[in-house]
Amino acid sequence: MDIHTFAAIYIGSYEISLNIYEISYKKRIKKIDNIRYHIELGKEAFSKKRLGYEAVEELCSKLSDFSKIINGYKVDEYEIYASAVLREVTNATFVLNQIYLRTGFSIKVINNSEHRFISYKSVAGRAGFDKIIKDSAAVVDIGGSGTQVTLFRDGELVTTQHIGLGTMKIRTLLDNRGITYSSYCKQMEEYIIKKLETFTSLYECIVENIVIMGDYATEVIRKVDKNNKENVVKTEKFVKYISKIQKKTVEEISKELNLANESDPFVLPAILLFKNLALSVKSKEVYVPGANINDGIAYNYAEKNKLIKVTHDFEKDILSTAKELSRRYNSYSPHIDALCKLSVKIFDTMKKNHGLGKRERLLLQVSAILHDCGKYISLLNSPQCAYYIVMSSEIMGLTHLERKIVALTILYNTYQLNEFEYLSQKLDHDAYLVVAKLSAILRVANALDQSHKQKFSNIKISIKERELIIKVESFEDISLEQTLFDDKTEYFENVFSLKPILKEKRVYLEED
Amino acid sequence: MEKINFDNTQYYENRELSWIKFDKRVLEEARDKSIPLLERLKFLSITSSNLDEFYMVRVASLKDMVNAEYRKKDIAGMTATEQLDAINKATREFAKAQYSTFTNSLVPLLKSNKINLINEHEKLNEAQKEFVDIYFMDNVYPVLTPMAVDASRPFPLIRNKTLNIAALLKSNKEKEEAMFATVQVPGGLNRLVTIPNEDGDERTFILLEQIIERNLDKLFSNYKILCAYPYRVMRNADFTIDEDEASDLLLEIQNKLKLRQWGEAIRLEVENKIDDKLLGILRKELKLDNEEIFKIPGPIDLTVLSKLYDIKGYDNLKYEKYIPQQVLEMKNDKNIFANIREGDILIHHPYQSFQPVVDFIRQAAADPKVLAIKQTLYRVSGNSPIITYLAQAAENGKQVTVLVELKARFDEEHNIVWAKKLERAGCHVIYGLVGLKTHSKIALVVRREEEGIRRYVHLGTGNYNDSTAKVYTDCGIFTCKESIGEDATAVFNMLSGYSEPLSWNELVLAPYWLRNKFLYLIKREINNVKNGLEGHIIAKMNSLCDKEIIKTLYMASAAGVKIDLIVRGICCLKVGIPGVSDNITVRSIVGNFLEHSRIFYFFNGGEEDIFMGSADWMPRNLDRRVEIVFPVIDSELKERVKHILNIELMDNVKAKVLLPNGEYVKVNRRGRKAVNSQITFCKEAKSLVKKDSLSVGRVFIPTE
Repeated sequence: MDIHTFAAIYIGSYEISLNIYEISYKKRIKKIDNIRYHIELGKEAFSKKRLGYEAVEELCSKLSDFSKIINGYKVDEYEIYASAVLREVTNATFVLNQIYLRTGFSIKVINNSEHRFISYKSVAGRAGFDKIIKDSAAVVDIGGSGTQVTLFRDGELVTTQHIGLGTMKIRTLLDNRGITYSSYCKQMEEYIIKKLETFTSLYECIVENIVIMGDYATEVIRKVDKNNKENVVKTEKFVKYISKIQKKTVEEISKELNLANESDPFVLPAILLFKNLALSVKSKEVYVPGANINDGIAYNYAEKNKLIKVTHDFEKDILSTAKELSRRYNSYSPHIDALCKLSVKIFDTMKKNHGLGKRERLLLQVSAILHDCGKYISLLNSPQCAYYIVMSSEIMGLTHLERKIVALTILYNTYQLNEFEYLSQKLDHDAYLVVAKLSAILRVANALDQSHKQKFSNIKISIKERELIIKVESFEDISLEQTLFDDKTEYFENVFSLKPILKEKRVYLEED
Repeated sequence: MEKINFDNTQYYENRELSWIKFDKRVLEEARDKSIPLLERLKFLSITSSNLDEFYMVRVASLKDMVNAEYRKKDIAGMTATEQLDAINKATREFAKAQYSTFTNSLVPLLKSNKINLINEHEKLNEAQKEFVDIYFMDNVYPVLTPMAVDASRPFPLIRNKTLNIAALLKSNKEKEEAMFATVQVPGGLNRLVTIPNEDGDERTFILLEQIIERNLDKLFSNYKILCAYPYRVMRNADFTIDEDEASDLLLEIQNKLKLRQWGEAIRLEVENKIDDKLLGILRKELKLDNEEIFKIPGPIDLTVLSKLYDIKGYDNLKYEKYIPQQVLEMKNDKNIFANIREGDILIHHPYQSFQPVVDFIRQAAADPKVLAIKQTLYRVSGNSPIITYLAQAAENGKQVTVLVELKARFDEEHNIVWAKKLERAGCHVIYGLVGLKTHSKIALVVRREEEGIRRYVHLGTGNYNDSTAKVYTDCGIFTCKESIGEDATAVFNMLSGYSEPLSWNELVLAPYWLRNKFLYLIKREINNVKNGLEGHIIAKMNSLCDKEIIKTLYMASAAGVKIDLIVRGICCLKVGIPGVSDNITVRSIVGNFLEHSRIFYFFNGGEEDIFMGSADWMPRNLDRRVEIVFPVIDSELKERVKHILNIELMDNVKAKVLLPNGEYVKVNRRGRKAVNSQITFCKEAKSLVKKDSLSVGRVFIPTE
C-alpha cells in the first residue's frame, strides 16, 4: 500500500500544534499523532502588535522540538501555517526569519480567508458533510481572533462572513476592567449578542444545523450527551447545558469540562459564543466534528497531490457564493448566465492561445458572475464599485490573490488595462497576464450580449489562423452588438494577437 | 433505617499502625519454622530495613507536622503527636519481637547448622583474637577517622544511618574529666567478617564493629578506654522539593542529596548495655528525647543478616531457586513484534520471565522499521540491559524518549548517573515533571510497517527493573491495539510537556482521571445491586489508604456489593463493621516473592471489567503521581487474570486475613488442601512450558 506520511504544523493564537498523518487512497487521512503546546502568542500580538524576545524564543524552541518529532516519523512532507498571530504583528518578517534560521521551517502565513477555507476543508472534506448541509446549515469556526460563519442553503454555500469575535480577542478586550465576575460574564455575553445581531439582521440566518468548529466544542458536546458517537445533539440541550455552566467560575467550568488548564481563560468566551451562535441561527441540531485546522492542512495537501478521492466539490462552493453575492446586489440575471456560458466557451476554444488552466477558468466564471454588481451602488462608476465590492467580500475558496484577479478582471472589462508598472504593486507578472487575458475574454463575451437580451442562439466558436470566429444564429436584430463589437475587441486583439470576427446567420422562426 | 455516617473516623485505621502490622507479618515469616533458616534470616533483615525506611520517611514527616504545628487529624482521627506516641509504643514492641526472634531462635539455629555469629568480641578464643587484631591493623585501621570531643573540638556530625562507636576516654596523664570520642564503622567494609574457627566445617563470623571496639585503644593512644558501645542515628530524610523555586530540577535534587545527611535526628539506637553517662552525652548532643532512644538487645541494624543469606554453600538452608519460565507466546523464531500482532500477550512475573520486556527494547533498538521508542523509567537495576538498549537505539538513529523519575525515593543519586548516560547517547531524557512523580510503567515502540505506522505498547504494574522482576510479582501486557497505541502516544506527549489529548480510548491516567474512574466503577456496582444484579469487586494492591475510595467501598458493602481485597501492606479499611463493611474481606499475602501487582476486578452485571496498573488506592497515587491503569481487553487474558485473583483468594498458606479487631491471622484451613498461591503459580508456569515442549516432541520416529 502506498502511504504518505505528512506533518501539519499550525501556529495559532494560544496554541501551536503538530499533527502527523498517514495519507493513502484506501484509508484516506489517518491521524497518527497530535501534539499541542499552549503558548499565548496572541496576547502579545494583539495588544502590542509585535512578538517579543521571550515569545520568539519559546516558539523557536518548541518548533525545533517539533522538527525532531517530524524527523522521528520520517515524514514525506510537512507544511507549517500561521495565521492571525504572525499576520498582525509588525515584526513578522524578522520573526519568520529567526524561525527559519533556527529550525529550518519556512512558515506560510495565511490570511483569514485561506485560514477559514482550510479549516472549512477539514470538515467539508469528510464523508457525510454534504448530508448535513443538504437543507440548510451554518458552519461556524471559532478562533482566537475571529469567528467565521458560513451559511449553506439547499446544499449550496450562500455566504461566508468573518465576525471579529474571537475567544482571545473578547477576553483581551474585556479583561482587567475591575468588575465582578458575574458582570464580566454578562458584559461578555452582551458584547457577543450585539455583534451577532448585526450579522443576523443582514443575512437570512435561520438554518437546520449548526456545525461548530473550535476548541472546547468537543468537550462541551461530550458533556451534553455522554453516549454520543455521532457528535450531534439537539440545540435546545446544548444551549441549556451552557446556560447552566456559564454561571460557574472559570475554574469550575474548566473542571467540569475536564480541561488541562485548571483555569482556562478562553473557555468562557468560547462557550458563550457557542451558545449565542446556535441561538442566533435557530438551528435544530448542533454538530461538532472535532476537526481542527491541522486536519484541513492535511486535507489540502492530500487534495493538491491527488492522494485521496475528493468527496466535496469546493469549486461549486465558490460559484454559489459568487452567485449569491451577485443576487445580493440585484445583478443576477439571465444575462449573467449567458455571459458566463459564452466566456467559458471562448476560454475553452482558446486553450492553446491563452495557456491558462482550470483554476483561471473558474476565476473567469466568477468574474462574469460578479461583473455587474457595481451598478447597485452607482451606474456611472459601476466597474470601480464592483471592484470594491469584490475586494471586500469573502469568497470561500478563493485566495486573496485570486480575489484580486477577479476584481481587476471586472475593472478592466470596462476600463482600459493599465501598464504592468502601474499595477506591479498589486500583482506579479503572471497574475497581471491572467487579468489581461481574462478581462479580454470577458469583454468579448460581454460584447455579444450588449443588449442583455440573449439574442443569439447556437453559438459556434472556432479559431482559424489569426482569427477567432464567432458564428451566431439570431432571429433578432443584432446590429447593436455588431456595431459595438469592433470597439470592444480591439483590446482582445492586443492581448492574444487574435482578431475576433462575429459572423451572423439570421434565422427566422416560422410561426404557426 | 438509621443513616450511617461513613466518615466516622472509628471506621478507619491509622496508616502507620497498619504499616507496622505489615512489618509484623514479615516478621512472622522470620518466625515460621516451616521456612528454611536463611530465608527466615532474610525476612528478619527485611523487617529491619523496612523499619529504617519507615522512620526516615513516615516518622520524620510526622515530626515535621508536629514542628510545624500542623493540627489536622488523620483518617482515623489521630493528631501527629498521638500517632507518634502510638508508633513509638508499637515499634518498641516490634523491636523486642525482632531481637527475641534473632537471639532466641535464629542464632541457636544457625549454630546448630554450623554457622557461628559472634556479637561480642569478648567471646572470641585466642586464635580468633589474634586474627581479628591483625585484620584490624591491615584492613580497618587505615580507613577509620576517630574523633574526640573537647573544648576545642565540637561534637562532630554523625551521618544518617551510619553505624558508629561511641566511647568514653580518660587521659593517662592528667586527672581530667572523661572525654567523649566517636568513630564511624566504615560503610565501605564488609560488616560481616569471616574468622577462623575451631571446627573445620563450621563457619564463624564476627561483626566489624566488634573488631573495632576491641581495638579502640589503638585509635586513642595515651588514653584509657572507659567504655565503648555502638550506636546509630536516624535522621529526617523526607524532604519536599520546592519545585516552584527550582529552575533546574536535577540540580535541586543533587543539592537535596547532600542536605539529607544533615537532617534532624529522630531516632537513636544504642546497645542496651550502654553506659548511662555515654548515653547522656549522645542524647544531649543529638538533641533527642527519651522516647526517641531505643536500647537494642543485640546487634544494631539487622540488615546485615542479608549478607549472611548470600554466603555460599548453604543452599540447603534456602528455598530452591526458582527460574522464571519462558513465555509461551514468544517461544518461537519470530520477532517479538510478529508475536504481539498475533494477539495481546500477558506476562506474570516472576513466574514468567522478564526477558521479553528486555527483548522488546533490544529488538526495537536494532529493527530498521522502528522509528521511535518511548519509555518511563522509575527504578532500574544497577546494570540495566534496558538502559543499554535504549542507548543503542538512539545511536541507531531511533528517536528515543525516556522519562526518568528522579524523585524515586532513595534512588536519586543512582538515577542521575544513568540518565546522563542516556543523554550522552542521544536520547531525549525528561527528568520528571514538576510537582508530580511519574510512577506509570509504559513502553511504546513506533514501527513503520507496510500498512502504515503501528504502535506496540507494553504496560505493566511493576518497574522496568530486570533484577526486581525476579522477586516482585507483577503483570504486564504487550499489545498493538490501535486504541491503546494512540493513548500511549498521547501519554508521552503529555509527559513531554504538551497538552493532554482531547479524549482517551482505553487508558486511565492519574492525577486527573483515575480517581473518578475508580469511584465510578465502584458506584456502578452499587447501582447494579440496587437494580437487582449481583455486585462484586476484587481488588489487589499494595496499599489501601485513600479515604474517598474506602468510604465508597463502605457504601458499596452497605449496599450489598461483595468486596474481596488482597492488600499486601497498609490497609486503613476495617472489616466487619456492622452495616458498614460486613461484605468486605481483606487478606494480605506475604511470601517468598513480594506481592506487587495491582489488579482491579469489577463484576459489572456480568460484563466483567478488569484493570491493571501502577496505582495503589493511596492519595499519593491518585493525586500526586502520573499513573496508568489499563483495561485487560481480550477475553482469554481476562480469564488468566481472574485466575490469578482466584488462586490468591484461595491461598491458605501465605495469606493472612484481617479480622474485625484489626489483627491479621492465618486462614483457618478447616481440612482443606493447602494452597500456596505463589507456589501454585510457579508450578503452573513450569507445566505450561513443559506441556508445550512435549507437544513439539523432539524424538526420532523410526520407520516401520
